[in-house]
Amino acid sequence: MALFKTRAIVLKSINLSETDKLTTFYTESFGKVKCVAKAARRIKSRFGAALEPLSFINLIYFGKENQELYRLNHCDIIASFQSVRENLEKLYTAVYFLELMDVTVREGDRQTQLFQFFLSALHCVERQGRLETLIRVFELRLLALLGYSPSLGQCVVCRKEPMNGWIGFSCFKGGIVCPICIDQNPQEIRFQKGTLNYLKKLLSSDLKILERLKFPRTVEEELEYITHRMILSHVGRELKSYPFIKLMAEIDAPILEDAKNGQTGN
Amino acid sequence: MKRPAALQELIAELQKLPGIGQKTAERLSFYLLRGTKERAQRLARAVEGLKEKIVLCSQCHGIADKDPCDICSDPNRNAAQICVVEEPHDVYVFESLGEYKGLYHVLMGVISPLDGVGPQDLTVDHLKSKVEENPAREIILATNPDMEGESTAVYIARVLKPLGAKVTRIARGLPVGGDIEYADPVTLKKSLEGRGPA
Repeated sequence: MALFKTRAIVLKSINLSETDKLTTFYTESFGKVKCVAKAARRIKSRFGAALEPLSFINLIYFGKENQELYRLNHCDIIASFQSVRENLEKLYTAVYFLELMDVTVREGDRQTQLFQFFLSALHCVERQGRLETLIRVFELRLLALLGYSPSLGQCVVCRKEPMNGWIGFSCFKGGIVCPICIDQNPQEIRFQKGTLNYLKKLLSSDLKILERLKFPRTVEEELEYITHRMILSHVGRELKSYPFIKLMAEIDAPILEDAKNGQTGN
Repeated sequence: MKRPAALQELIAELQKLPGIGQKTAERLSFYLLRGTKERAQRLARAVEGLKEKIVLCSQCHGIADKDPCDICSDPNRNAAQICVVEEPHDVYVFESLGEYKGLYHVLMGVISPLDGVGPQDLTVDHLKSKVEENPAREIILATNPDMEGESTAVYIARVLKPLGAKVTRIARGLPVGGDIEYADPVTLKKSLEGRGPA
């Protein structure tokens, strides 16, 4: 029986029996880990709010190495991302990130770099106003860190660099397809070559400067379509939390508009 | 040796209940087998009655013997207050206090993106129509203080506040008999934010 100590982000918590919880963490040192938290649902539970999804915590758990379920021993909160929880669009963006991490990362897959990226992305959700670009970058970079980086330099079929005009993207082959090869595969996604440069920029940009990046509306729509199709192709299904981001943004919009008008009126 | 089919069927059905495993299901089944026929029939009638006699109140969506329920049809209840809860059993938790004299509204769940449950799956539209009928009401949001409960409360407040309703949230903070030393920072912060006069 070993004791494990690491920093972690809570991905999800589900109720187990009368008072217990089964919590999934993405840890800094041991990758994705599942723990049973005894009596966590009791009002006087020692785990308190630390097992709420999105919490960044110090975690101590025990069990035999490489077992499926561990026993939670102790956790205390480093950051709870409270401002994210109070804004529905931010909250559901963060929940989408949590779900993406949960479905794409396998248990025992240890990557400190991925943990750092995930944590930085959550801090960006907290700080940034425009979340669209951040969502695109998170989708692309997560796949890249998991070893599914798209090939954007040359056509994945003929290995030639595409010329100007329309080009395609093959989720199955994981990269761009030139106009000649795309005619043989009409089902692939088509987009303008200019969008390719934005796609490259997203893959290499620092998360902290994302708010400074400006994209034309058509490019944003194409980027959303491409990255979302990549996720669908990788996961094999639509993520449940994805539609909620837009739904909540629509609810927030008139309220933000009213607030803006109120300020102008004053 | 194979068990009799009727016994095996009961064990299998009991095992489907939350918190009951193979051994407990077997123990309960053998207990009922050893008891009188009347006892087993009483249990069977009670289980059957659950589905046949209990109805959902069309006004508050709580469970009751009749529609509207005793709470909604009671003229002595304060109709200017509506306590919004997640599930029908939450109504009984509040009623056991004997303190609250207003009405209830059961949401029949919470917004949960990870389970694919959205506002359209809840009774939020009905709550909205109640507020539109009488905007002077106080809406007390009593969903659980977890991520789903909090976000559902934020959502309902967003929907109802523009209608002119007074929307309040139940207090969050330290439990009675708890120890400040062991409180987590989020709970402690909430207890400071929600402090009242001594």
